[in-house]
Amino acid sequence: MSMLAQLVVTGVLVGSVYSLVAVGLTLVWGLMDIINFAHGDFMMISMYTVFWLYALLKWDPLVSLPIAAFVAGMIGLLTYKLVIKRVLNAPGLMALLATFGLSLFIRNLAQFLWSPNYRFVGESILSGKRLIISDVIVGLPQLVAALGSIGMTLAVALFIKKTKFGKAIQATAQSREIAELMGVDTEKVYMFTFALSGICVGVAGTLLSGIFPVYPESGAMYGLLAFVIVALGGFGNIWGAFYAGIMIGLAETIGGFYLGTQFKYAIAFLIYLLVLQFRPKGLFGW
Amino acid sequence: MRKLLAVLVVLLSFVVMAQEVIKIGAIFPLTGAAAATGVKIKYAVEVAQEIINGVYPEINLSLAKSAGLPNLNGAKVQFVFADHQGNPELAMAEAERLIRNEKVVALIGCYQSSCTKPASQIAEKYGIPFVAGSSSSAALTERGLKWFFRIAPHDGMETVFFFNYLRYLNEKYNANIKRVAVVYIDNEYGVHAALMVKEKIKDFPEFSLVADVKYPVSATNVDIEVQKIKAAKPDAIFHASYIGDMTMFVKKYKEFNVVPKVVLSYCGGYQDPQFVVNLGKDADYFAGTNATTPALFAKMPILSKINEMYKAKSGVDIDGPTLEDFASALVIAEAINIAGTTEPEKILEVLKTHTFEAPYFVSEKIKFGPDGQNIYSASVMTQIFNGVYEAVWPEQYQTHEPVPQFPDWKKR
Amino acid sequence: MKKTPLLVILALLLILPLVVEDVNFQHVMLMMLIFAGLGEAWNIITGFAGQTSFGHAAFFGIGAYTSTVLFYKFNVSPWIGMILGALFAGIVAFLVSYPCFRLKGHYFAIATLAVAEIIKQLFVSWDYVEGATGISIPVVPDSFWAMQFHRSKIPYVLIAYGLFVFVLFVAVAIERNKMGYYLKAIRESHEAAEALGINTARYKLLAMIVSSMLTALFGTLYAQYILYIDPFMVFGLDVSMKIVLLTVLGGLGSVYGPIIGAAILIPLSEYTRTLLGGTGKGIDLMIYGILIVIVVVFEPRGILGLLRKRSRRRLNYGKSNA
Repeated sequence: MSMLAQLVVTGVLVGSVYSLVAVGLTLVWGLMDIINFAHGDFMMISMYTVFWLYALLKWDPLVSLPIAAFVAGMIGLLTYKLVIKRVLNAPGLMALLATFGLSLFIRNLAQFLWSPNYRFVGESILSGKRLIISDVIVGLPQLVAALGSIGMTLAVALFIKKTKFGKAIQATAQSREIAELMGVDTEKVYMFTFALSGICVGVAGTLLSGIFPVYPESGAMYGLLAFVIVALGGFGNIWGAFYAGIMIGLAETIGGFYLGTQFKYAIAFLIYLLVLQFRPKGLFGW
Repeated sequence: MRKLLAVLVVLLSFVVMAQEVIKIGAIFPLTGAAAATGVKIKYAVEVAQEIINGVYPEINLSLAKSAGLPNLNGAKVQFVFADHQGNPELAMAEAERLIRNEKVVALIGCYQSSCTKPASQIAEKYGIPFVAGSSSSAALTERGLKWFFRIAPHDGMETVFFFNYLRYLNEKYNANIKRVAVVYIDNEYGVHAALMVKEKIKDFPEFSLVADVKYPVSATNVDIEVQKIKAAKPDAIFHASYIGDMTMFVKKYKEFNVVPKVVLSYCGGYQDPQFVVNLGKDADYFAGTNATTPALFAKMPILSKINEMYKAKSGVDIDGPTLEDFASALVIAEAINIAGTTEPEKILEVLKTHTFEAPYFVSEKIKFGPDGQNIYSASVMTQIFNGVYEAVWPEQYQTHEPVPQFPDWKKR
Repeated sequence: MKKTPLLVILALLLILPLVVEDVNFQHVMLMMLIFAGLGEAWNIITGFAGQTSFGHAAFFGIGAYTSTVLFYKFNVSPWIGMILGALFAGIVAFLVSYPCFRLKGHYFAIATLAVAEIIKQLFVSWDYVEGATGISIPVVPDSFWAMQFHRSKIPYVLIAYGLFVFVLFVAVAIERNKMGYYLKAIRESHEAAEALGINTARYKLLAMIVSSMLTALFGTLYAQYILYIDPFMVFGLDVSMKIVLLTVLGGLGSVYGPIIGAAILIPLSEYTRTLLGGTGKGIDLMIYGILIVIVVVFEPRGILGLLRKRSRRRLNYGKSNA
């Protein structure tokens, strides 16, 4: 029993970080119908930001969080300005091709600048600390990562729902033309959504830097899982992405533990196929 | 007149030969997930090239004392690097390109066994020697290839070495190790190592395999893997993992308070000096086979000199796999020198019969058996104490006594 | 469609590798033919029918594994293995189509990706086919029967050429046939196609099966050429994406697209790697990546769009059906 409790806790912790990566992706995907292949690489850049601030200035990851988020946000913004803007009206998969090229460029730029070594943020306020609640062990870095992810998701959801700008995003997602007629500067909406997407994944990267190695391919697997999670939750749906992330996390830990750890991602993919049989537009798709 | 002409021709040919550059292909993963190791190996091979081509009287190696290959009139050796990105298709294509277009006379590589397989197949096809340094899959030397040689001990030899070490700990230190778990990455490297464990454990009846934990390539976390291991309560854990996953495992062992007696690592993540850099004191007490360790530098002046040159390029101390690929570069150059020609058949003859001096290895020499496997295993068991890889076994190389029990994580 | 340019391209593709003796060039041509063929096959389901597949590596891998296992275990000629591989791929396509075609647009695309990843993991864990260890194909002397040629790459190039022409022929035939019009009707609007009385489920399924079978053919050739396969190299997402990217770059939905895309991307990646890959700094892939971005940014309609100067309706995939 305590084993199952442990697995559930671990699944939720793992899944909530997936969620935040996926939230950033779903924002862009839902708004612009663009698959951003470089999403995971934005995360990698934020992890390197945290690592270098730690290695050179001895900053704690939690202190460098705003800077890493800002850096990833700026990269999102620049990506929009320099690349995405020009392919918005291109045939469907052109943008995918552009972001694929970008992903390849960013990864190898990271190797060029910082070598392909695997690095870790060794010491931080959180590292090595843990909570033990009757048999269930919770690592503090992971707990903070999960809480941070949930908090960030909540903030983004509120921002979209309550603020004027958030409403403009919603309107643009519904129809660009109508939103423009209503006086929304859709260009600005796109740009800031891309930046916001970068910020989300930047925060996720920061939170992960204590538990996952920093290297040029750091973002690859997270990016791939985020695709599935976004689709599982329903494109453009923030809470959909959130719950889907938790679900994938649970499927991975519980399924992986009982069916064989080598299958943990295969099980996640299977869950997607199964759920979509009943909800063909994702858990929360409309 | 005729005599003069003959002398001229001879002289001319000497000049031409002296300027000749002998090219050797070096195919490694220089980008992609294994690039961290591939790039280090590249530095080591570059050091080998400098030693061969330059004059280093202080290094007691036959090729260090003169510039170039003395038996080929001082011809310079050039290693032509190619990148296979961890993809067997590219390893194969690069091998063929290097042989046909760059006219290399021999090949070294490819780190990952899955890439060494097709690349050495190409060398076989063209009748060109292939010397693998660190590729460790036993399957490589079981193919019956004529042109293939390997320096590193294969995973079958490593496994036997592991069990013998456990036996030694039980006998000498009363370690009472019985339960063994094997933890490995789900690719050719890990799966083959685990296969060897299952096969060789039959010869060591005092041990039983209590857990077999396989995790996917590019895992985002290893939480449940560690919980499985913990539930099995192993005395010894055998790891076939790369540096990224290995580091995550150690962090989780600490978090979940997994306290085995020994953790032994196959040639992989543990041997990377980054392991100690990343983990600090948490890396202590982990152990694994290694072709070298900085603790041995004091005893081995030549190795120490090589390491000095290597460290100037890479910024870190030379590690086992890297040294094995360094050795592959030196061995092939020496074989060409002894053969006195770049004719493949002659080089092959030397590789098959000659015993190569290898003062940078604890075994001090390299000799290939009929299957192409180096019969002198250069491995020592190393264990980390205070961030230093100390040699703990066999006893004649010992720089520190082994500790067959992890302390409690809180008491570090 | 005019025939002349296509015939000129076909003639060039045949003559170039025969007259240029450089072995690396022949390798590049071979890879180009293989990936152009894969692109043509993929185009049938995605370019014509508008159903984006991110999982064609599954069929490629099934083709590679079927012939390899048959040859390795039972000494069956890879030619027979190639046909059986195509059949297996068709069966798998049939089986996975049912759950996948219930989904539309990106949901379908991600489903194909999921299917391919699951199949990959099954092969990694399947001991009978040597799992993650991969299979080294037993080397035999040059033989047509065993599809192994060690003295020259020309026979491989010719086989690739033959397969490519066959796939191209099928693609052109479908495009001109009523099936092609039906598929394009489905691509433009699923609902409208149904309203016209097109059995959309049937034609999508047919397109998927044809596409997967053609894809599997190249898997066999690839395995016989490399003489080693493991699940990561043939079932990997990299393979699926390479097919997608080069077709999109060339021009989706046109038989010229994959040819143009392969003719640009494959030599670009091969030659940047051979020139700069040895530096160990990732410069080659940086250049490769940034060139892709530049091409897309300056010519968002694909190379074919550039060649045609004005965009045509047929390229407007994804606007209505996504």
